[in-house]
Amino acid sequence: MVHFKMACYMVIGLIMLAAGCAPSAAKKTDTAASDSAGSTPKASTSPSPGEGKRDTARESTTDRSSLGQLQEGKSSETTGPLKDILYDYDSHSLRADAREILRANADWLKGNQAARVEIEGHCDERGTNEYNLALGAKRAQAAKDFLATLGIGADRLSTISYGEEIPVCKEASETCWQRNRRARFVVLPGRPAS
Amino acid sequence: MRKLSCCFFCLLFLVGAVNAAQISLEVVGQGMPKYPIAISPLKNTGAAADPGRISTGIADSIVYDLDLSGWFRVLDRAAYIEDPQKSGDTLGGFDFKDWSTIGAVGLVKGRFAVQGDDLTVELRLFDVAQSKELIGKRYVAKARDFRRIAHKFADEIINQFTGTPGVFNTRIAYVSTSGGRFKEIHIAHLDGTERFQVTNNRTINLFPSWTSDGKSVIYTSYKDRSPGLYHFELFTGKEVKWSSANGRYIGGQASPDGQYVVATLEIAGNSNLYLLDANGKAIRQLTSDPGIEVSPAWSPDGRQIVYVSDRGGSPKLYILDIAGGKSRRLSYSGSYNTAPAWSPKGDRIAYTGRVGRRFAIFTISPDGGNARQLTSESYDSEDPAWAPDGRFIAFASNRVGRYHLYVMQAGGENQRRLTGSGGDDTKPSWSPRLD
Repeated sequence: MVHFKMACYMVIGLIMLAAGCAPSAAKKTDTAASDSAGSTPKASTSPSPGEGKRDTARESTTDRSSLGQLQEGKSSETTGPLKDILYDYDSHSLRADAREILRANADWLKGNQAARVEIEGHCDERGTNEYNLALGAKRAQAAKDFLATLGIGADRLSTISYGEEIPVCKEASETCWQRNRRARFVVLPGRPAS
Repeated sequence: MRKLSCCFFCLLFLVGAVNAAQISLEVVGQGMPKYPIAISPLKNTGAAADPGRISTGIADSIVYDLDLSGWFRVLDRAAYIEDPQKSGDTLGGFDFKDWSTIGAVGLVKGRFAVQGDDLTVELRLFDVAQSKELIGKRYVAKARDFRRIAHKFADEIINQFTGTPGVFNTRIAYVSTSGGRFKEIHIAHLDGTERFQVTNNRTINLFPSWTSDGKSVIYTSYKDRSPGLYHFELFTGKEVKWSSANGRYIGGQASPDGQYVVATLEIAGNSNLYLLDANGKAIRQLTSDPGIEVSPAWSPDGRQIVYVSDRGGSPKLYILDIAGGKSRRLSYSGSYNTAPAWSPKGDRIAYTGRVGRRFAIFTISPDGGNARQLTSESYDSEDPAWAPDGRFIAFASNRVGRYHLYVMQAGGENQRRLTGSGGDDTKPSWSPRLD
């Protein structure tokens, strides 16, 4: 009977809820402000002591990575000694112009033996974020593999994909899309030789 | 503390009994004309005044939910004749003629009383033509949780008319820029209320995915500088990073039975699907193609996974049988198909497909037949997520400029924009029914 079943579910539900609920020590919750006209507290943007450690990202003052630049509110346009290479749509193949730049980047790396580089793979905004994250990884790896064939030690090269997440421009144009389909070479802050 | 207060969600106790006979199914539904219903503000029967505006707040939430379903035409409150604070809310206490004259076929009335922090509510659904009560429910909760009562009753109304409960006692997890430059994970009701921010780490956070018990969210975050998979328990605030020694996880989806997670692991540029246990420990590799394998989604029976692979040249959908390990191609039309999501009813798979220069939401049968385009290619619509009843799809679209979240019926009807976080809102994930 519907009524009996419902009563059973109610009782079971109540028992489960009572069992599963941890008593809430404090009334305050870290909720963001709600649209409703009323009583929901505003979120505190600074993490409370002990909680902040768990949720803040590691930030570095010399972090030239696209993520570091994003956190500092700066553009991630490449300004360093190593130039970006560009890719065709939905591709991780290295074009002739890309290989030229990679040879130049390899030359610089050979002249700066202590330098380590993080190769970032990026995509334009079209398509889904997951697919673009994977495609960015392929682009970064393709650049790394080519540099390795030019004699750069793989231990000096790390890769990371940002997919479509940190573009250098946002217009829906072929020009902007091409600028975003790139691999970027970020010289990592130096470390003492171990 | 960055966690949901347990009381915020769980102190809802269902007391009352179901009254009267169930009327016939299919009164509302696909192809039916919208059912005209009036939702009266509730009568305050307590001693306290109503500064929390619960009388209209509960009514407004029910209105929102029924309107969003697309099956009801909610009559404008401005046309209501009676004063809900003066008339009764039970049979014999009010005049059905006040409602039939304005065209109501269904009617919701109720009462509430607040004492301190506590709220008691009674809600009733009436059939106006037959002057009958169809549902009567009594709820007890904290006063600030009054909207939860409204959502539960809206789900009861939908159950009454369709035989399946509604999906309004649920939450959407999604990614929002909130107008800024970072992407954080938010959770809210469909109407934008009860918003909770899961992440606040000033980086890029992506791909939220509910666990099947509705207690945790899995997502991908750059907060450790390179992408990692995180499991966040809403009520305890506990967050665990799931790492692989060999590579980086991009996106995870919890299985319907809560036992497993399927995740994409990227190793040296190659992305493949891996099966993890519920604690993030890798069990085995599921695909081993040198191309890109990404975006997995479980079948409701947990036996198959639909995913995206570019092994054929461009991204297409494939279905993996987990036990046998074999994959078959699902999509043969369209040059770029991605972001699949399998309906909890099992009958359709939704995905994002490229049409010309734009992306649209499609559904297709799991055997590959009957592909249907649900959104227009005049703009982009992406990231479909099914409601737990398999009758609605949430998605993101830039049709009015920025990306906002939308909900539509499974056949593409009644596309409605949801209230968001102010900025670009994307990648919705629809929670199970709560409580």
